[in-house]
Amino acid sequence: MVAKEINRPAAKAPGRAWLLALGAWAVPGLGHFLQGKWVRGLLLGGAVYVMFFVGLAIGGHLFRIGPNDQGLSALLQLLPMSANFGAGLLYIGCWLTGSGFVEQAQRVTYEYGNTFLLCAGLLNYLAMLDAFDIAAGRKQ
Amino acid sequence: MRHVLWMALFACLTAVVFGVVAKGSERQRLMYGLKVLAEFMVVAFILGWILYFLPLR
Repeated sequence: MVAKEINRPAAKAPGRAWLLALGAWAVPGLGHFLQGKWVRGLLLGGAVYVMFFVGLAIGGHLFRIGPNDQGLSALLQLLPMSANFGAGLLYIGCWLTGSGFVEQAQRVTYEYGNTFLLCAGLLNYLAMLDAFDIAAGRKQ
Repeated sequence: MRHVLWMALFACLTAVVFGVVAKGSERQRLMYGLKVLAEFMVVAFILGWILYFLPLR
């Protein structure tokens, strides 16, 4: 039974599923809202928004690769930046307005804030995959 | 005390997402979310007490 499950070829995902996944990444919760999964969208989107804004409020900062980051320095920024990038338009909005990138290491809750911001993006990636699976018919 | 509250908020929000994206019936997902929350809290308290006794200063 297990072997049968593993060997079963995955059904090809429709283009709509990819679009919904893009929407779910851009606006946390949107991928579920568009599929009529209101409660799931509210819970997922709410958790990501709360985590992101609490992270900013308690002194966390977003990561990006700046012009001064070269070589290893740029590489070290890449991983946390890709985690932050998972927050979608929230990250892009901060990048466009230049807010949220200033380090506030003097604050007691600085590391908590960073963790909140990183995990907000990572959890939104999970939510995006969930929206994709639902749209592709792989999940209820 | 403030640290515990931030950790508890983090655990709650993460458990919500893990519970929602899990597979199974609504009851199974609720139980999974509560289990994740409990695991976060218990592990954090255990690590906190271990670090308390370590001479790190």
